[in-house]
Amino acid sequence: MLELRHIGKAYASGRRVLADLSYILDAGEYVAIMGESGVGKSTLLNLIAGLDAPDSGEVLIDGMAMSSLDDDAATRLRRKEFGFIFQAFHILPHLTLSQNVALPLLLNGIQAEEATERTEQMLFAVGLSGRGDHFSRQLSGGELQRVAIARALVHRPKLILADEPTGNLDPDTAHDILTLMRAEIKANGASGIIVTHSHAAAATADRVLVLTKDGLHPLNPESSAASRQSRWRS
Amino acid sequence: MEILKCGSAHTGSSPKRGCGLLGIARRAMRLLSLAVTLLIAGFLATRASAEPPRFSPVVPGVPLVFPQDFGAHPDFRNEWWYVTGWLETPDKKPLGFQITFFRVATEHNRANPSRFAPKQLIIAHAALSDPAVGKLLHDQKSAREGLGLAYTKEGDTDVKLDDWYMLREENGRYQTTIKARDFMLRFSLTPTQKPMLQDDGGFSHKGPLPEQASYYYSEPQLQVTGTVTHHDKEIAVNGIAWLDHEWSTAYLDPSAEGWDWVGANLDDGSSLMAFLIRGKDGRKVWAYAGIRDASGRFTRFEPDQVSFQPQRTWRSPHTDAVYPVEMRIQTGSTVWLLTPLQDDQELDSRQSTGAVYWEGAVRISRDGKPAGRGYFEMTGYVESLKL
Amino acid sequence: MAKLTHSGALSRWLLWGEWRAHRSQAVVAVIAIAIGVALGFAIHLINAAAFNEFSAAARSISGQSDLQVRGAQATFDESLFPVLAERDGVELANPVLELDVAIPGNRDENKGATLKILGLDIFRASIMTPDLIGIPAEDKLFDILADDAIFLSPAAMEWLDVKLGDPLQLRVGTQAITLRVAGGLTRARAGQRIGVMDIGAAQWRFQRIGQLSRIELKLVRGMGHAAFKAALEQELKLRGQFLVTEPADQETRVANMSRAYRVNLNMLAMVALFTGTFLVFSTQALSVVRRRHQFALLRVLGLTRRQLLGQILLEGGALGIVGSLLGLALGYVAAATALHVFGGDLGSGFFSGVKPSVHFDPVVATFLFFLGLSTTLLGSAAPAWEAATAKPAPALKSGSEDAALSKLATSWPALVCLVLAGVLTQLPPIFELPIFGYLAVVLLLIGGIALMPRLSALIFSAVFSAISKRTSRAMPLLALARLANAPNQASIALGGVLASFTLMVSMAIMVASFRVSVDDWLKHILPAQLYVKTATSGDTRGLTPGEKEALAALPGISRADFFRSSQLTLDPRRPSIALMARPIDAADPGNTLPITGEAIAPALLPKDAIPIWVSEAMVDLYGYTPGTRVTLPIATPSPVFVVAGVWRDYGRQFGAIQMRLADYQALSGDNKVNDAALWLQEGVTPEQAIASMKRLPFGDALEFSEPGEIYASSLNFFDRSFAVTYLLEMVAIVIGLLGVAASFSAQALARGKEFGMLRHIGATRRQILSMLAVEGGLVTVLGIVLGFALGGCISLILVFIVNPQSFHWTMELSLPWRGLLAVAFVLTASAALTALLSGRHAVSGNAIRAVREDW
Repeated sequence: MLELRHIGKAYASGRRVLADLSYILDAGEYVAIMGESGVGKSTLLNLIAGLDAPDSGEVLIDGMAMSSLDDDAATRLRRKEFGFIFQAFHILPHLTLSQNVALPLLLNGIQAEEATERTEQMLFAVGLSGRGDHFSRQLSGGELQRVAIARALVHRPKLILADEPTGNLDPDTAHDILTLMRAEIKANGASGIIVTHSHAAAATADRVLVLTKDGLHPLNPESSAASRQSRWRS
Repeated sequence: MEILKCGSAHTGSSPKRGCGLLGIARRAMRLLSLAVTLLIAGFLATRASAEPPRFSPVVPGVPLVFPQDFGAHPDFRNEWWYVTGWLETPDKKPLGFQITFFRVATEHNRANPSRFAPKQLIIAHAALSDPAVGKLLHDQKSAREGLGLAYTKEGDTDVKLDDWYMLREENGRYQTTIKARDFMLRFSLTPTQKPMLQDDGGFSHKGPLPEQASYYYSEPQLQVTGTVTHHDKEIAVNGIAWLDHEWSTAYLDPSAEGWDWVGANLDDGSSLMAFLIRGKDGRKVWAYAGIRDASGRFTRFEPDQVSFQPQRTWRSPHTDAVYPVEMRIQTGSTVWLLTPLQDDQELDSRQSTGAVYWEGAVRISRDGKPAGRGYFEMTGYVESLKL
Repeated sequence: MAKLTHSGALSRWLLWGEWRAHRSQAVVAVIAIAIGVALGFAIHLINAAAFNEFSAAARSISGQSDLQVRGAQATFDESLFPVLAERDGVELANPVLELDVAIPGNRDENKGATLKILGLDIFRASIMTPDLIGIPAEDKLFDILADDAIFLSPAAMEWLDVKLGDPLQLRVGTQAITLRVAGGLTRARAGQRIGVMDIGAAQWRFQRIGQLSRIELKLVRGMGHAAFKAALEQELKLRGQFLVTEPADQETRVANMSRAYRVNLNMLAMVALFTGTFLVFSTQALSVVRRRHQFALLRVLGLTRRQLLGQILLEGGALGIVGSLLGLALGYVAAATALHVFGGDLGSGFFSGVKPSVHFDPVVATFLFFLGLSTTLLGSAAPAWEAATAKPAPALKSGSEDAALSKLATSWPALVCLVLAGVLTQLPPIFELPIFGYLAVVLLLIGGIALMPRLSALIFSAVFSAISKRTSRAMPLLALARLANAPNQASIALGGVLASFTLMVSMAIMVASFRVSVDDWLKHILPAQLYVKTATSGDTRGLTPGEKEALAALPGISRADFFRSSQLTLDPRRPSIALMARPIDAADPGNTLPITGEAIAPALLPKDAIPIWVSEAMVDLYGYTPGTRVTLPIATPSPVFVVAGVWRDYGRQFGAIQMRLADYQALSGDNKVNDAALWLQEGVTPEQAIASMKRLPFGDALEFSEPGEIYASSLNFFDRSFAVTYLLEMVAIVIGLLGVAASFSAQALARGKEFGMLRHIGATRRQILSMLAVEGGLVTVLGIVLGFALGGCISLILVFIVNPQSFHWTMELSLPWRGLLAVAFVLTASAALTALLSGRHAVSGNAIRAVREDW
């Protein structure tokens, strides 16, 4: 589904963050990427989303190189195949929740009736049924992230990119959100990449990868499962 | 009896008038036109000036002296030279024509030294009656006398209004040129007889009162040669015409409503002039007829010897006025019948100056037998001008 | 199609969402555009209405003629008339005697108000000029030809306070004649003050026997005007000085009279619109900056660059459409109101005597609509482009706002503008209009404003580092730090202030320079102690030689200089020039005339030519430079004159010539004089002199004024003429303040998080507000300082380029320091207040939310 081939990237300041990074993400797979601050997790996400271009190497989506796309084509690809969830929820304050959720549908040219229906389904799925007319200022942080999840999935993208989705939330809310996120990704048959500092968050993924200067390494799956277990028990 | 023809005395003329003069200007010009009309007719005596000029009165017993009396008489309030006649084209088609020059003295202060001072107004009027056209072609012009552009000279007939003029040569022949909007007339009029002094040796009564009178002579039986230009086509014509020259200061009877007038050149060389002044109540205010035979014998008829009886009427499609276009006239025991060259010889200038009357060429019979050709005028058949 | 619908819905959502949240900023932008468009439209409508009415009135007087023949002087001999009337190709010749006649006792008499009287031949005029035929009373039909009758337009009747049948007194020389109001001219144009009478009566009553003002010709159909005109001109050369003009010449002449005035007003309106544009730019720029995150998010979610660009332009366009439409409506209403209340000339005196009404002009309305719209789009384009091309990922992070505007700080385009402006000031006028001068003004404004980010960064950084060493008070430091380190946002706020203050400074300096120069000029041209006029201007005034001697011989008068003034037409497409004959000392003309620039030394004057002294306009318009030999149509054959010097004349922008009275009388044979300047013997008061002059037989016809009165009324007139420019300055200031309000409220909103943080760490609300006020004040002070500099440069252009090229007169520069400082103070205070008021809204929000929220 997603293939990273020998990705290299340096910041404008010249500091090298990613070097010769390769990885293949299978369809339906949900992985977590962990790593120290400044190691390039967000940069990696931006590269995958085509928001930034690697200095070397290729990002391939379904075998197609992102670098072969111009900005418009990359944008069209992004709008159709990707869903984003951010740490700072980025819910447009002047639009209602419904409108916020419906944005990707509109951008993808979905008919109004269908868009309304899918938006409502999505809001129902994230537990915000009946609150579509509300504005972001009337919601708590957890609720805002539910809206963001709904928005990320409403157009049934193939790949969800989440950047510290629970960074601004308390542990209980974070847990609910992570559970919801995983469930919805799986329910929609999408792939997912979650970038996080939190082991608890990472534990909700199918696999956990650690980004270091040397590349992506899998974390021991048992420890992941164990931490999941322990997290669930606590 | 052209004194009453002042209904036709229009001012304000343009070869290209079109509809540009609609509205206020037309109204103003109509007022002036009417004023001139009324002034000539003597209905009106406005005192527009602090020092009105004194006009000569028409008094009986003053013999006419020629050639001086062929010329203008500026001391009288109004004056005109009025030519009507029948023409024949090379293909023997009949045409009627009429050419008139009016002079009207105003009350403008005689002390004004300006050459533009409007002391005398000159008004000219021309019409061509062509049965092939089916209606009258006509045009009129007016100007103040002065600067050599418009004048009526004393001494002999010499009148001019821009490029319209009429001039009497020493041999008695008149030359006239009229460049009207739709046609052009260029004629020589040669007398075959002496002037015909109307009524009482040229003193012509116009009503029951002695001051209701004018000086009036006619030149009947004028031989016409010349050209008529119409639709850019010049054709040679000849024919016979009648000239009236009349001047007065007088008042017309206030009860008069209109008049019927005829002047006819008879084939036997004699000439007939008759008029009837109709009162508002339909009665005869005044009437007159004079006949001069080829030998010069003159017969005068008093009002009670002259009667006009309408025979056939024609309703104008332009104005809805009803004119007795066939008229039976009785002078003494003689019965005359007038038959028009064409019915529609109505002069309708409501689009410009507003006056409407009928004036046209007629055939005339005496006691049932064709006798000659003349001109017949009827005024006062349309309601008074609405101002 | 489906796609369109949905992106349409998206656009609508975003638009409404934004406007619902920032209604006041949208409103301010709309108002700014509306004011600019409204000003432009109102001024155009007023000018067009006044101008059209004025030309229509002029046209109604000349009627449907194809050509007009007139003399170089006011009248000529009538003998030409029959010649033209009978000429081949002439269908109708209409003689006209046109007089401007003074009305004794009229309330406007001393303002020089006269009644235009046309002497017409009704038989010819009824075809040529049917609108000018008087309507007599029904029982006095012949009044139309009467020698004592006059027909007046409704406006003239109202002005003269007479009705049908009333006597009307008119001034002829020193005498009065009485005419009778015999009727009306109902087809005269509304407000047109005009009288008509018979031409013969007019010649007689106004002592113009044998004279005509012009002859209007209607040619026969098919006659080629140009060939006829050329032949006629050739033929007329033998008869004297005649001009053959076409109606178009008349139009040009009328247009020339007021063109400079109209163009200058329109330019001012355009500057207002420009200021409005700038405001839209700042509103849009700040709004885009504020929503940088949102736009970045939309880009991440899949909005293409073009869609985003389109969205922002759509927003700007919507503001532009609403603002322009509102402006058109506003402008129409303003024009109608102004025309109703003030008349068409807005106090300038260019269009007196007509009563115009406003007519909607769809062409100009469309033009201004698109101008308003495109300026808004232009204002939105730069921020939109920036937002669309920004990289979405970094833009999602906060703190990048000022960086977004950093492109504004590029200084080379600004420098190019300034250099170009400098070059343009060296170019000559085109179409006799200072087009390049105005372009230079616009470029200076643009360049100056564009240079602001760099300048303000430099200046505020310097101030910041200087102050920070000396004080530790937090709030001023914070304010300065922000101004120094986020100079781009500051300079956007600055731009509005700068634009309006620059405009105000330049106008103020120009008007002040003009006024001071007029003041000096008036003092120079009014040396005598008493001035005598033969009741008002107009064609019919004048003292005979006998009257003149009687006046000069009165006891108590030590010296009397007599003047003869008349009108000359040198070019049929230009308004007439004034010819003034008076005693002039050829050895020292500067003694009597406000000589400016070079003059020929008296000793070097050629002996074979008569010296004349010309106003500056003559040099510009007719090329009468000193030393030029010219002929003037004041006698036949034309004598040769030499231009001996140039004098300054603020009274007649179309040109004036002065010559010695003795020369004039010898050449023209015209022995009448119009005015006199009197010097009194010692101990004689002006009142005593006036009393003795009033006892003269013609004393009633004399009008007296002391220099002080003339001086005061002239300056009063000057101030009235410039009233409209004061109004425009006010509008510019209001727009500038709106700009401050718009940018500060936008910034305050954008800085919610900053304020929330400050509140968290212990800043009081008052402190934050005072910080805002300090920022506003500082920005304004800088704007004012720079505005002084920029406005000073622009005023130089106005004083030394625009004015001489528009009105053909020069002036000395003078600076109204006191007034400018007062305005600067008021502006600073109100800008600080505006900044404070705009910030209150932002500060009143919940500090905790402000910090937590991402925007």
